[in-house]
Amino acid sequence: MAQSLLSWGAFLLYTAACAAAFFYLFSKSERARRTMLSLLGAGLCLHLAAFAVRLAAFWAFPENRWFLPVNSFFGALSYMALALSTAFFFIEARKRLGILGAFILPMAAASLGLAVLKADAAVSPLSPELRSYWLNLHPMVLMTAYAAFANAFGVGVALLVQERQVKSRKPSELCYRLPSLDELDSLNGRIIAATLPLLVVGLAMGAVWAYETWGRAWSWDPKETMALITAAFYAEFLWLRYVSGKRGRTPVYVSMIGFACMLATFFGAELSAGRHDFLGGK
Amino acid sequence: MKLVSLSWSHRARASAAREALAGVPVPRVLAELKARGISEAAALSTCNRFEVYVAGRADQDLAATKLVAILEDLAGCSVGEHAEVREDADAISHLFAVASGLDSLVVGETEILGQVKTGYEGAKAAGMTGKRLNVLFQRALFVGKKVRTETALGAGAASVPSVAVQLAETIFGRLEGKSALILGAGAMAELAAKHLARRGVSKLSVANRTWERAYALAARYQGEAVRWEDFPAELERADVVIASTGSPSAVLTRAVVEEAVRRRGGRSLFLIDIAMPRDIEESVHEIGGVYLYRLEDLEAIVAKNMASRMVAVAAARRVVDEKAAEFGEWARSLSTGKELSFKHSENA
Repeated sequence: MAQSLLSWGAFLLYTAACAAAFFYLFSKSERARRTMLSLLGAGLCLHLAAFAVRLAAFWAFPENRWFLPVNSFFGALSYMALALSTAFFFIEARKRLGILGAFILPMAAASLGLAVLKADAAVSPLSPELRSYWLNLHPMVLMTAYAAFANAFGVGVALLVQERQVKSRKPSELCYRLPSLDELDSLNGRIIAATLPLLVVGLAMGAVWAYETWGRAWSWDPKETMALITAAFYAEFLWLRYVSGKRGRTPVYVSMIGFACMLATFFGAELSAGRHDFLGGK
Repeated sequence: MKLVSLSWSHRARASAAREALAGVPVPRVLAELKARGISEAAALSTCNRFEVYVAGRADQDLAATKLVAILEDLAGCSVGEHAEVREDADAISHLFAVASGLDSLVVGETEILGQVKTGYEGAKAAGMTGKRLNVLFQRALFVGKKVRTETALGAGAASVPSVAVQLAETIFGRLEGKSALILGAGAMAELAAKHLARRGVSKLSVANRTWERAYALAARYQGEAVRWEDFPAELERADVVIASTGSPSAVLTRAVVEEAVRRRGGRSLFLIDIAMPRDIEESVHEIGGVYLYRLEDLEAIVAKNMASRMVAVAAARRVVDEKAAEFGEWARSLSTGKELSFKHSENA
């Protein structure tokens, strides 16, 4: 009950922070920026409290002790929202790129919203095969990577908006409010360059865990396949951008296809009957 | 309180009086006014206006004719004919409008606020400000800032070079550390060089068919002259390119730009074509990461910005009128012995 209230509170605060972020995008109000950051900060506090309460409930089962409650959709979505808002708070807001809130915070709000509205918040004992220290590593690393990719996606959308403005030769007021093309490009590139290795490490951890549990590292289940395709698209982005030195919209589109694959990887679990179906609560 | 202002501005058709007055140093004007028995006065002298504000007690004789006579002695010629004379409420709202940029040649320009401040500080240093002018000028500076933060009067760049610089900043962020290439060495190229050098572009190269002219222009702005046949190689390094040659056909073709872009490692390229006929092929704008603006594009942005400034004039007027009325009440309250005070929060 307390966890549900706290999560709801965090969700509402994130949503309010989004509204402030949009107001800030279209107005010049410094107050809107401060409001956005205060709402986000308060949301983060409630969210952390909700996580603590959930952890306490999860650990009430002795067999769950020391494992993180990420074995359900609720846990995963909630963790990603937390990681994404924290990343925004410490990457963009600190570099005075708070204007990007309108592009990034809606994803955090949507992720937590999906958790509180659609997912089952109940905690249950872990199935024996999940009781491994890998549970604290493999999904955590991957979901952190997902949150970072979502952050890069928001930056990418801002980059496309700004690119279109400059190409149109008729820039609007928004053009002068958004960060410069080079700033957005380098932020997008650096986040992806730092996150792709994380994704690969997370996948390798999964393979090792699978080998330890089932004796088979890779079994081409839909989630594994999609994750590999995701990594391939992000690698293609890095190659286009930094090896062949392409600029403009094409590399950004490629990174966005990578993001779409990532979403399919994450939500595809529900459709798959492979080794990852526990996320669906089955 | 009594307030008189005399002004010679860009509105007047004849500029001889303004030029003569501009030649007199402000400290001398203030010293002369002081010597002739005036205790509170401030002068504002810029390249397109000369104004004097004189304040005193309500019963003091501050006839404009007397002030004009003093200024004529200083300027050494007749200046009274073109003077705009304002008193009390009119003078207050005029100063507030001036500080807001409403009275400027380029409406909403921001330099004037600093110039008003300089004028006030000069008067203060000369010991020519008392309570009346201190409060008047502090309020004027306050109103000038308020108009700029609360209305769109100063929004958007108002000239072709400043629009170009603003666009360059939209693409690159800060211009420090960026390099510019100028094709051509005519008057327009020179103007471009001047603006870029002023905005902190760290490397300036000039390429021209006649080497000597490129060399001369580059030397004037601490730039580097490039041989005409070498400019495609220079294109690899430049971030901003300004083309204004007299060539009858395009000098920057799509093939040349594509070749340079291949070697640039994904850095954006901002091209500005101010030549007529054009120097840069239009189709280079289609290349990813290359942005070509032509003179008419920049002019259209200036026109749009000026139009939105004009829309903001009414809102700025309202702020000025409201604050001028407020100051008028304060000025009247001085003689009643019950001095009003301005809202505290606003003075901050």
